[in-house]
Amino acid sequence: MMLLRRELKIMLRSPAGAIQSLMFAVLVIALFPLAITPDPSQLEPLGVGLIWVVTLLACLLAADKSLLSDYADGSLEQMVLSDYPLWWVCLVKSIAHWVSCGLPLLLMAPLLAAMLAMPSERVVWLMASLILGSPILSLFCTLGAMLTVGLNQSSALLPILIAPFLVPTLILGTQWATTGGEAFYGYMLAALLCLSLVTLPFAMAVVAKIAVSR
Amino acid sequence: MLQIESLSCFRQDRHLFKDLNAKVLPGQALQIVGENGSGKTTLFKILAGLFEEYEGRVITSDAAQVLYLGHRYGVNDQLTPIENLKFLLQLNENQLAPDALEAALVRFQLRAELDEPCASLSEGQKKRVALARLILTSARIWLLDEAFSALDAPGRAVLSEVCQAHMACGGILIFSSHQAIPEFASAAQLRLEAGS
Repeated sequence: MMLLRRELKIMLRSPAGAIQSLMFAVLVIALFPLAITPDPSQLEPLGVGLIWVVTLLACLLAADKSLLSDYADGSLEQMVLSDYPLWWVCLVKSIAHWVSCGLPLLLMAPLLAAMLAMPSERVVWLMASLILGSPILSLFCTLGAMLTVGLNQSSALLPILIAPFLVPTLILGTQWATTGGEAFYGYMLAALLCLSLVTLPFAMAVVAKIAVSR
Repeated sequence: MLQIESLSCFRQDRHLFKDLNAKVLPGQALQIVGENGSGKTTLFKILAGLFEEYEGRVITSDAAQVLYLGHRYGVNDQLTPIENLKFLLQLNENQLAPDALEAALVRFQLRAELDEPCASLSEGQKKRVALARLILTSARIWLLDEAFSALDAPGRAVLSEVCQAHMACGGILIFSSHQAIPEFASAAQLRLEAGS
């Protein structure tokens, strides 16, 4: 718990990163109707996909922020050497990423949906798909950040490396919401969440050991 | 006890060091000497367990906890000195007296800065925050990579006192330094020759 407390404390004292990804999402959704069309009948079918894409990109944007500072000041080394299991340290990093990025976007989603004239029963399914989907995005983004931290031009490498892994989540999430909650997509998304929750922290632990030995 | 047996390390296709041997008993210090780029930091990382691509053996007596302080010593800019110190100690220790944290920082002459974020501290002061951990840790083996640099004379004096107290209690000290540290002039030396 004390690891998580530290992450949240640091986040609250430097909220710029969290605000940046939130602003990014809000701006894209606000500008879209201005640039394409304000006609609700044309915006409506695009809504779910747009909000999902924006969420995904915002997560990628925020992926390496906190990890870069931990790497640069040596905290990451100390955490690897700590008595805490390394997979737990990595899971905490993912949770912190979700709290700073996934959670604000999730709370903002109804507003974004309203900006795109989405009918309210679809908003419910959009929220449901984001609740299951955004933690998966956070886990993969943290894995990507661990992989590239300490490399030259890591911020450029990270999206290329990790975006393909986010595609299944994107497809399942958007399909679930647009089909109005067809069970198959929901089950698949939930299964993907469980699978990434039990496997990715261990993958991250291996990667973190490599990162600190550079 | 800490023992190094025929330790060799390749990095980027060259021998960083080759066939190192050393043995440090409780209460002893070992100074790692070598030019810039001779592999001191890599050796410290190997001893700490952060770097595993080496040949040879590193033997530590069982259950001897290791504390590693490198060039980057884990002080976060957003947290205050107290919060940083508490976090760093809690990584390895279970019990902490709250007053002890403050006392340790005060011993390293951080008094006025206790409740400010570390971003407003100078580099030397941040280092003192990390070094205050030495006063409270229960680790028996200390690996201090260039711990004496970036400190002023009073800071160095406190650090050598703390190190001497650690050795008097049977602790092991392994350090590197480009300056001569008079208090540890008699310490055994391990010389790393520049790449071959």
